[in-house]
Amino acid sequence: MIRRAVLIVLGLIWLGPTYLLIVNASRPPESYDPARAWAPSADFALLDNFARAWESAGLGESLASTALYSVVSPALGVLIGALAGYTIVVLRLRHGFWWFLLLFGGTVFPSQMLLVPLFVGYSDAGLYDSRLGMILIYTAINVPLAAFVLRNFYSGVAFSVFEAARMDGASTWRIFWRIYLPLATSALAAVFILEFTFIWNDLIFGLTLTQTAEVRPVMTALAGLMTDVYAGTPVPVGLAAGLVVSLPTVVLFLATQRLFARGLSLGSV
Amino acid sequence: MTRAPILGRFRHGYVAPAALLVAGLLYAPFVWTAYLSLTRYDGLAPPEWAGLANFAKLFDDPVLLTSAGNTLIWVAGTMVLPVGLGLLVAVLSYDLKGGAWYRVPFMLPYALSGAGLAMVWSPVLSHGGVANLLLGVDTAFLQEAPHNTIAMLLVWTWQQLGVNTLLFVVGLQSIPKAPIEAARIDGASGWRLFRYVIWPLMRPLTAVVVGLALVASLKTFDIVWVLTQGGPGRNSETLAVTMYKETFVASDYGYGSTVAVALTVVAGLASYLYLKRQVR
Repeated sequence: MIRRAVLIVLGLIWLGPTYLLIVNASRPPESYDPARAWAPSADFALLDNFARAWESAGLGESLASTALYSVVSPALGVLIGALAGYTIVVLRLRHGFWWFLLLFGGTVFPSQMLLVPLFVGYSDAGLYDSRLGMILIYTAINVPLAAFVLRNFYSGVAFSVFEAARMDGASTWRIFWRIYLPLATSALAAVFILEFTFIWNDLIFGLTLTQTAEVRPVMTALAGLMTDVYAGTPVPVGLAAGLVVSLPTVVLFLATQRLFARGLSLGSV
Repeated sequence: MTRAPILGRFRHGYVAPAALLVAGLLYAPFVWTAYLSLTRYDGLAPPEWAGLANFAKLFDDPVLLTSAGNTLIWVAGTMVLPVGLGLLVAVLSYDLKGGAWYRVPFMLPYALSGAGLAMVWSPVLSHGGVANLLLGVDTAFLQEAPHNTIAMLLVWTWQQLGVNTLLFVVGLQSIPKAPIEAARIDGASGWRLFRYVIWPLMRPLTAVVVGLALVASLKTFDIVWVLTQGGPGRNSETLAVTMYKETFVASDYGYGSTVAVALTVVAGLASYLYLKRQVR
C-alpha cells in the first residue's frame, strides 16, 4: 500500500511539468501568464503554435538539414561498418581482431577531444559550415558501433553460407550485398535508430562546425534561438517548438520498438 | 595465401572506408588535441610549444575550480537522483500488478529531446516564472550559484528518471526467481529481502547503469549550454562547457585542448577505477 502511495505521489510530481507543457503549448500565443499557467485554455491553438514555431524560429531549414544528416549519415555509417564487420569475420581479414579494436576504439574519445582539430581542419579544407562536412563527421562517429554490432552478428552466421555462395561463383562483394546485408536487417535497423537519435539530438558538433541557417542542425538552431524566442516570441510558441523538434525521434522509436528490441538482442549474440 | 581465392583478394579495400573515416576523423583529431594541449595556439598563428604551461595554469585557474566543482555536483547528483530514484521506482513497481502504468508518468518526459527540454523549462525557471509563483519565493533559479546547477540537475532528473527506471525494471524482471522465493519462505521481506537477496542479484546490471551515468555526467554539456551557457558570469560551467568557452569564445585553443585532455583523463580514470572495483 505504501509502495503504491509513494509511486502515485512521485508520479504526480512528474506529471506536473508534463501537464504544464501540454496545456501551455496549446494556449493561444498572446494569452500566456505565469500566474495562470495551470488553468487550461478554452481555445486550442497547438497546431497554430506549431506553424508559428516553424516559421518564426526559422526551424524549417534546420529541420531539413537535420533530417538529411540523421538519415544519410547513419545509413552510410551502418553500411560501411557492416562491410568492415563482414570483412573481418567472414572474409577472415588477417589481424582481424586488431582491425576491429582499431575501429571500436573510436568510441572512447569524448567529443571535446575532437572539436579543435575538426574546427581548424574543416576551416582549412573548406568543409566548415558545409553539409558534406557534417555528414562526414556524423558518419565517422557511427562507424565504430555499427562495426561492433555487425561483427557480433556475422560471428553467429554459419560460414557454410558464404562457402556455398562462393562455390556458385558469386563475388565477395555480391555475397555481401545480396546475402549478408539483407540477413542483418534488424541489427542494421537497431544501430540506425540509435544513431539517428544521436545525430538528431546533437548539439556540440553543430555548434562548432556550422554557422548558417541552411547548414545548422535543428538542436543547435534552437539553442541559439532560446534567448530570441523568449524575447520575441511568446512562451506557447517556444513550447510548441520544443515539442516539434522532439517528435521525430519519438515517432521513430515507437514505430520500430519491436524491430529495435530484436535487433539489439541479435547484435549481442 | 592459399585461402585467397575463396576469401577474395580485395579484403583490405573493404575495411578501408571504415578505417579511413575512423582514423582521419576520430584518431587524428584526438592525437592533435593532445599535442595542442602542450602549445600556445590562437587558431591563427601556428601553435607554439609551451610545454606544461597550460597544465600548470589548469591548477590555479579559479574558473576551472568552479567548473570542476559543478561537474562534481553533476556526477554526485546524477548518482543520487536519476539513478538512485530510478532504482527506487523500479524496485517499488516491478512486481506490482499494473506496475507499468505507475511508470508512465516517468517515461513521458523522455520524449523531449536535447534543446527541446531546455525550451520547456526555461519559462518555468525564469525570474517571475511558474516555479517562483508555485514555491512562493523570489529566487532566480538560473542566476545564482549553486541554485542554477541544482535546478538544472532537477530538470535532468525529470527527464532521465524514466530510462533508468526502465533499465532497472528489465534487470529486476530477469533475475532468477528461486533465490527470492527461498528467502521469502525463510521469512525475509521488505528491506532485508532487497538488501541481502535482490540487490546482490541485480548487481551486474546496476554496474552498467551506474557506469554509463558516471561517464555521461562527467561530460555534461547540452543542458547547461542551452539553459545558462555556463553563466551568469561563469558560475554554472561544467568542464565540458569550460572547454568549449576557452576554445571558441576566448580563442585560447591551446588551453581549451588542455581542458579537453583533463576531462578525458578524469573520465578515463573514473571508468578505470569503477571497472576495477566492479570486477574485483
